[in-house]
Amino acid sequence: MIEAQSLTKRYGGQAAVQDVSFGCLPGTITGFLGPNGAGKSTTMKMLCGLAEPSSGRATILGAPFRELPNPGRRIGVLIDASAQHSGRRGAEVLGLSAQLMGVDRRRVDQMLELVGLDQAAARKRVGQYSLGMRQRLGIAHALLGDPQVLILDEPANGLDPEGMRWMRELLRDFAQRGGTVLLSSHLLREVEAIADRVVVIARGRIVAQGTARELLSDVPRTAVRAAGGYEAADRLRHAIQQASIAVREEPDGLLLVDADPDEIGYTALQAGIPLQELRLAQDGASLEELFFQLTADDHKESR
Amino acid sequence: MSTLTISQPAQSSRIGADRRPSLARLTAVELRKMVDTRSGFWVLIGIGAVTLISALIEAVHDRGREGTYINVFHVASQPSAYLLPVLGVLLICGEWTQRTTLTTFTLVPERHRVISAKVLASLLVSGGALVLTLLGAVVLAALFGHAPGGAGTLPVAVIAQGWLHLAIWMLIGLSFGAAVLVSAPAIVAYLLAPIVFAAIVNAIHSLATPAKWLDVANATAPLTLRALSATEWAQVGTTLALWLGVPLLIGLGRVRGGDIN
Repeated sequence: MIEAQSLTKRYGGQAAVQDVSFGCLPGTITGFLGPNGAGKSTTMKMLCGLAEPSSGRATILGAPFRELPNPGRRIGVLIDASAQHSGRRGAEVLGLSAQLMGVDRRRVDQMLELVGLDQAAARKRVGQYSLGMRQRLGIAHALLGDPQVLILDEPANGLDPEGMRWMRELLRDFAQRGGTVLLSSHLLREVEAIADRVVVIARGRIVAQGTARELLSDVPRTAVRAAGGYEAADRLRHAIQQASIAVREEPDGLLLVDADPDEIGYTALQAGIPLQELRLAQDGASLEELFFQLTADDHKESR
Repeated sequence: MSTLTISQPAQSSRIGADRRPSLARLTAVELRKMVDTRSGFWVLIGIGAVTLISALIEAVHDRGREGTYINVFHVASQPSAYLLPVLGVLLICGEWTQRTTLTTFTLVPERHRVISAKVLASLLVSGGALVLTLLGAVVLAALFGHAPGGAGTLPVAVIAQGWLHLAIWMLIGLSFGAAVLVSAPAIVAYLLAPIVFAAIVNAIHSLATPAKWLDVANATAPLTLRALSATEWAQVGTTLALWLGVPLLIGLGRVRGGDIN
């Protein structure tokens, strides 16, 4: 169980994270979604006691992270898989933490096996690891203390499609056992495939949160295209607006409308405009549409 | 990849889950960190090798002179006195450079306890260095040192001071590491600051007396030569307050308060 209450982090006068509140429940996977630099890592560091919030507060399992006596046994954390000593062997990275947490040495081998790092890989120094191997080692490290909560920053980064599927199953299994998972990503498809709930952050603020279904209820429901080019598109848009329905025009003349297709079909018929295309907009791409809409400012900024 | 379950069914796996790791355990982990990387391992081997080589050279060279044990001991302790502080710097800065702080401080959020463990580990490592120095000095002086009155004696007080000498310097390195948090500038600061300071105060005639109370290299130099007088102990104390205490306090402040990146 994770709870962030009005977390704010200012550097100088600039707020990197502002008034971020959300909760993660046992048995669920929460995806923390946002473009690079939106404040995901800073928020996660505040959750884990690595960064001090300027205001607000965070609790995990009912207490601030720093007050847990042996946090590794309750909360598995992966903030950056590359942050390991390059001269240390993979198995030793886990062995060191197992000793610190007071975990049985055998669990090191079990976790290595679980994440698919074989004996040869375990003996290698981390400096020789690929990013995918580092992620696997990082996930093994997070699971080492047999925790109830997992906090993973961009865990799928560097994993191949097969590795992503493996991680999805692993986290699903963890949540089904009553575990709480918070994972961040800048890739929508990853979050969409894994998470039960989504928290979207942009420019340090939460811009949306809920289940994918809840989030999509605000999204245009229908895509419609008039036959006859831009002139026809303009007429159709005008007709829809007159019916007091929200509409947005894409550059290619496609209109995204906040109404059901049959309603739009009727509106077009009344206005006498032939249609080339009329369909539900809510296919697999629509969460992506929402994501770009919500984070549009950031994308402009980075261009 | 296997079908192995994440959570082991045995309830026993939860034992110790809410017990704070003891300082002894944290210290053991810090010692392990010093030797389980390639660089750390070879630095320690290097310190040992240079210690024995310098003891050998001094023992052979000092043949026929007085106080052989003490001389060899004094010379053999110099490599450690110069290199252990570097190890001390790396003990802190290595975590920041390699960014293992992200792991270390999520497992031990009470960051001052990690620093305490590193201090204790430094005391043990300097103790180990002393044992090696002592063994090298005694064995080699006995083998090669044939002074007219024998190899002389090595008072227990000087041996104890020898350990203090190594511990002090390693901890000064650690303190500079904590205050600066980046290896290269920390090592430069540690090497240069006392020298520049000593050069300045010694050049100014009117500072000659206060310099004795502030120049750490000068105050600690006799530790491996003779049992110190009360005044000399007091001077060790004041110089340590300045060169160990101040950077350590700055370092503790930075480590405890700072955000980890």
